[in-house]
Amino acid sequence: MPRLISFDIDGTLEVGDPPGCVTMRMVRVAKDLGYIIGSCSDRMVSNQQRIWRDHDIAVQFTVLKHQLDTVKADFEAESYYHIGDTNIDRQYAQRAGFEFFLPDSAVTYFWLPT
Amino acid sequence: MTSQDRYQWRRDQDGLGVWEHRGKVAVAGYGHSPVDRRWDGVTMDQTVGAYSVLACQKAMNDAGVTPDQVDGVICCDSHIAGPSGGSASRWAPRPYFDPPYDSELGLTLVNAGWLIKQLKLPKVKFAPSGVPSIGEMVGMASQAVGDGRCTTCLVIYPCGNLEGRYRRGGENSEDYARGARQWTVPWGNHGGNDFINIFPHNQYCLKYGGKHDDLAPFVINQHRNGLMTPWGFNASHGIDQLTLKDYVTSRYILNPLRIWDCDRPVNASTAFLFTTAERARDLKQPPVYVLNHSQHNFRQRSTQADLEVIEDWTDRAARRMYEGAGLGPADVDIFNPYDGYSVMSQFFLEAFQWHGVKRGDALAFYAGDIRVEGPHPFNSSGGNLGNGRTRSAMYTDSIEQLRGTAGRRQVRVRAETALAAFTTPSSGGWIMFGKHPS
Repeated sequence: MPRLISFDIDGTLEVGDPPGCVTMRMVRVAKDLGYIIGSCSDRMVSNQQRIWRDHDIAVQFTVLKHQLDTVKADFEAESYYHIGDTNIDRQYAQRAGFEFFLPDSAVTYFWLPT
Repeated sequence: MTSQDRYQWRRDQDGLGVWEHRGKVAVAGYGHSPVDRRWDGVTMDQTVGAYSVLACQKAMNDAGVTPDQVDGVICCDSHIAGPSGGSASRWAPRPYFDPPYDSELGLTLVNAGWLIKQLKLPKVKFAPSGVPSIGEMVGMASQAVGDGRCTTCLVIYPCGNLEGRYRRGGENSEDYARGARQWTVPWGNHGGNDFINIFPHNQYCLKYGGKHDDLAPFVINQHRNGLMTPWGFNASHGIDQLTLKDYVTSRYILNPLRIWDCDRPVNASTAFLFTTAERARDLKQPPVYVLNHSQHNFRQRSTQADLEVIEDWTDRAARRMYEGAGLGPADVDIFNPYDGYSVMSQFFLEAFQWHGVKRGDALAFYAGDIRVEGPHPFNSSGGNLGNGRTRSAMYTDSIEQLRGTAGRRQVRVRAETALAAFTTPSSGGWIMFGKHPS
């Protein structure tokens, strides 16, 4: 069963405002490894979709921050992770039953060789 | 230099009569910096200081004034995020840079002295310290020019924003709520207006009918107007038009206040050039005359203002403005009240009875045609919600509408008078502009 990663945008992804430490290359690597990926942000859904389209990355979901629970309902996965930079991310991740990572610790956990 | 402490410039009492300088002061120019979400901490020509210098230069160019003609500088010298701004409002303890960025000045704060030096203004004789925010500052400039303290006055409102959580520092980051804060902070009040205005807003809906999301047409229209404001954050950053679905599905910040009911903190600066009406007539742009200004800081009767109190406060503010300008509700063409939280604009709209809107009418009014092309172009600026938290869009739009230079936002109705404000129901200020001096 695949695992799922939800990405916050601002302060998390390199294309966010402010930029975060998770690069679009890392996102592609996760996708290539078979993760279900998508974004969960306070940005409008249309804006989230535009970001992924502009970077030619096909994602499985784009939801608002407080709708993370719908992702769990829509996708069956072995594990659910949310990467974000604020306590609001942590709050909604925990509420939806996602394991929460700050961006820098996520980079270490998911992408750096052990 | 003059401290404002001894200068009694405020018009903050009931019954002051028509303003003695009505039509004798004018706005002759304005300038906006780019509007960024934050300063990146690296690019030195995008600091709030650099942006303030740029805004002043634009305002002088717009008016056709040279630096040696400026004899007044009124600059708000506090940080927009306030003392609880934390890392979003203070550069230290990070190391400073080479002059002029060797202190907080230019990075997070700007004051008149710093600007006078950067702009090389040789003849400034009026440059007060402890200047209030823009809602009162424009009144201070109007009165100072009217009183002869200066004749050509730059008025600057810097809005700095660094990386970090806005207003999540200082006492807001503490684990304990002490003193009076113990009664409000546990429910989400962090010094802004969200809790202050939500309570009376809910009372409003109960008393007059309606529900919170009836604000949607207003918020959506603010975004629409913002997208027609080239310098604004939304227009200059490719932000999509907010839709009804976006609004009604958006996250609550503090139920029922949604994220789109709140303005977006930005890094930007705005400058206006105030001068005498006589001098303005010889400058580059058609003068926009000041017909009145007023301020208020109403006494809090409790920790929480209710609807009755807020309606009383806003009624009094409206009476002061109309009395000082010698005008009434039917005389106001452009109406740009503050909208930093969408839930407070209705209190102003109804108090000033713009376009006949009375108490309890606002939500129905929002559901009508409030587009700039329509008969009731409410808040044609797009305000803070449509442009970012510059707190200056209301003034610039008023000036542009009266000049006839608002571009796609230019209203189709008469545009000869304008009311603008940055104010909460309890404190702040209003200013009335006119295309003609009387």
